Parts: sequence; C-alpha cells; structure tokens
Amino acid sequence: MAVESSRVTADVIEATEFPDLAHRYGVRGVPKIVVNETTEFVGALPEREYLAYVRAAVGENGGE
Amino acid sequence: MAIISEKDQETIRNHFDENITSDVEIIMFTEQPSPIIVPGREQCETCEPTRQLLEEVAALSDHVKLTVHELSKAREEAFALGIDRVPAFVIEGASRGRVRFFGIPSGYEFSSFISDLVDVSKGETDLSEETRQFLATLEEDVHIKVFTTPT
Repeated sequence: MAVESSRVTADVIEATEFPDLAHRYGVRGVPKIVVNETTEFVGALPEREYLAYVRAAVGENGGE
Repeated sequence: MAIISEKDQETIRNHFDENITSDVEIIMFTEQPSPIIVPGREQCETCEPTRQLLEEVAALSDHVKLTVHELSKAREEAFALGIDRVPAFVIEGASRGRVRFFGIPSGYEFSSFISDLVDVSKGETDLSEETRQFLATLEEDVHIKVFTTPT
C-alpha cells in the first residue's frame, strides 16, 4: 500500500529486537498489524479483509 | 562467510534481473559497536548481520544501491525518514509512500523484503483495483506497523 500511496507509511518491525515496541502495542502473536494506533489485527488476512481494517482506521465504513 | 547461500543468491539474482528495471536505494541506519561499555546502553547485536545481509542483497543487482549511515552521525537524515532506532532501513525508488524495516529481515520477512525491493523499484504492486482506488482517494495519512518475529 505504501508503494501505491504517498499517504501511506509501512513499517516492518522485528518484535524480538524491539521489545519496548512489542510491549507498547501488546504483541503476543505475529504477524500483528497496527493501523494508525487505532485498529489492529493478528494474522495474515486476505487483501479485502486487510483493506477493511485500513478503511476502518481512517473512519470509513466497511471495517470490522 | 555469506549469510545468503550461493543457491539463494543465484535465485534472487535471477529474480532481480527479471523484475527490477529501475534503481532502488536501501538507506540503512546502524551503530558501530562501542569500544567502551556504557552501563545501561545495550550494544546493537543485529546491526552488523543486518548490514552484511543488505550488502549481500545489494551485490545481486546493479539497480540496488545501499547507503549506510551511523545513526549518531546522521541524525538529520534519520529524523527526515522517521528513524530513531537501529538497525533500520528505508527502501526508496518509485514508491509513492514510505517502506521501512526495523530489525533484521530474516526468516519469512526476508522474502517480504525482496518483494518490497521489486515493488518499490517498479512503483507498482499487484494489489486489487478496489484497494488501489481506495489508496488513490485517501485523504488522511495511514501508518501501518507490521510486527513479525524471525521465524
């Protein structure tokens, strides 16, 4: 998504190297995805479901 | 000794030859091991392996360039890219947004890293039309953090 939009920043964070971040975001399983500090989910989802979470994070309908 | 096996190097080299057509830059931030032990300050154990891994990847294509900065000596560059810890790197090319990695991209993340290099060089992805349309009309910033472990 970050490749397609200048509005998007995508970070891949190795949780065991940065336990402070893993703790702050309550990482207990991976992959854990956090969008805009407001929306989160665990696991590799199909693109449509992933998109629904991103939509929800920016206040659009379609999120879960 | 190389981190990436010769067989994998060959596979990645061929993959890059076929898919990377324009330049892509990896801007890495690291920290040299300190000769002085400072209480409370941890040494960066994955900085050197990360640097070596990135050097090996960059050597597999003329289109992949690697720039390495010491975080303590390049604070301005790091700040501009939102990097405040090491090891970390940004992939720059034809991408519209920003793709960053914090920590060594090993295990499953290694293949994500390789495909991100290709996507950033092309400036395009295989995302669906629906997703791309959503992204094209996005009116606020989106920050996605993906936490992984080296498995």
